[in-house]
Amino acid sequence: MNTIKLYLHSMAILIKSQMQYPVSFLLQTIAQLIMEGGEFLAVLLIVDRFDILGRWMPGDLYFFFGMMSVSFYLTECFGRGVTGNFPMLVRTGQLDTMLLRPRGVLTQVLCSAIDPRRITCIAVGVLALILGSRMSMIQWTVWKVLAFAEALLMSMLLILGLFLIEAVFCIYSVKSVELVNALTYGGRSACQYPVDIYPRPLRAMFTMLAPFAMTLHVPAAWILGKPLYGWPTWTVFVCLLSGLVVFGVVYVLFGHALRHYRSTGS
Amino acid sequence: MRTKAYASIFRMNWKLELQYRGAVLGGIICQLVFGLILVSLYRALYAGRPQVMPIETVSTYVWLQQAFFRMVLSSDSDLAGKIRTGDIAYDLVRPLSLYGYYYARILAQKSMGSLLRAVPMLVFALCLPRGWGIMAPVSPAAFACFLLGLMIGLCCVSALENITMGITMRTLDPKGIQAMLNLLMMILSGNVLPLTLYPDAWQKVITALPYAQLLDAPIRLYTGTRQVAEAPGALLLQAAWTVVLTGVGIALWKSNQRRLVIQGG
Repeated sequence: MNTIKLYLHSMAILIKSQMQYPVSFLLQTIAQLIMEGGEFLAVLLIVDRFDILGRWMPGDLYFFFGMMSVSFYLTECFGRGVTGNFPMLVRTGQLDTMLLRPRGVLTQVLCSAIDPRRITCIAVGVLALILGSRMSMIQWTVWKVLAFAEALLMSMLLILGLFLIEAVFCIYSVKSVELVNALTYGGRSACQYPVDIYPRPLRAMFTMLAPFAMTLHVPAAWILGKPLYGWPTWTVFVCLLSGLVVFGVVYVLFGHALRHYRSTGS
Repeated sequence: MRTKAYASIFRMNWKLELQYRGAVLGGIICQLVFGLILVSLYRALYAGRPQVMPIETVSTYVWLQQAFFRMVLSSDSDLAGKIRTGDIAYDLVRPLSLYGYYYARILAQKSMGSLLRAVPMLVFALCLPRGWGIMAPVSPAAFACFLLGLMIGLCCVSALENITMGITMRTLDPKGIQAMLNLLMMILSGNVLPLTLYPDAWQKVITALPYAQLLDAPIRLYTGTRQVAEAPGALLLQAAWTVVLTGVGIALWKSNQRRLVIQGG
């Protein structure tokens, strides 16, 4: 409980400090809007030219896009310490001070940064979700809402876990590792479209290694009434847990890596 | 005399860019995955609704965009830092034009940075089966036009980059404006979605914009979307934009120097 209070308190302070440069903040927020708006524009233009993607209708595609964009940018907003700043913490040796304090390292890293600019990205995602839900005429039920909420939560854990892999590499190699971007940003780009359109190797990668298919596509397809691979309903709530599994495994690795941490010095 | 100085700045930065070969490898693998994802996506789309333009053209477009990714999106991080800290004052002392100095640097960084990544990526793309990888240029003449277009595109993107930096010097905010212009560049240069797949009604306008001159124009020549007979017009448009953007950049930097306020103490 105390940890959550600490986190919220840090967030309040960080937001206050970012608001000290209002014009810069505004410009950066608009830049984020252009970025995510551009991504969404790409989907709209694809729909304009191709109408369908496999068995998916335009509304379905918007819904998938919205799910990915909301969960990805919520993670980038509230998990900024892991998704953005960690390599810098290692390189500059700021991580050392965190090791001294009587709190978990991950807690402190998460408390160290927030990225409120992402709010516009999340807004674009929400817009896509509403549009998709309307066009695909989703009949919302309590179970569907539950699956939706769980899918967002699990995807956020998954994304945080994937970024944490980069942090683990970073502890060993000091430099940030671009390779992991293939999983994180690559996953975002690939999995804003349903996974069943991809050839087998990519499908395997995003089902087993970075299971966006499990945390996003299985529930989203079920909500849309077109279950992925025709899997039964109970699988939806089980598959989702893979987000928790990935995060758990990487969290253990992260703890292990921290024991091997050698400061960069100075 | 001056040209010799700029040439040596260019050479030095070329060599500097060559130093971090290890770091490049991770970036290349990442970009390869992106390329594969995009080609798979367009193949799936084509399976549902075949288009007039063959899929080979689209996959070639994707690979060339990915291979030269670094040309579009990379900036002189030193310069942004120097503007923020005020160290740019030291560069003012040099007996060279500030614009020329940074133009030579960014040109070197962009050309070497993209060359280093493009060669292995294109070799990989050549090994992929037809319709997945990159096709050969439609004709030797088209290839020659492509290379020429690519060089003009490099000069054009460097001029654009210097305008972005000129604006940063005024606003002292490297993140806001720079991020915005870079994102516009990603969208309008065909990195997010090939410009050839934009609605047909938009093509006239979108190919005339400066952002289309970086990579889109040369790629269209390579794939034969634009015939060799149309090449002179396309190359001329590229060159015209490059001249205009360079002119705007020089004027901007000159006026910046006149009302110069240095950060820091």
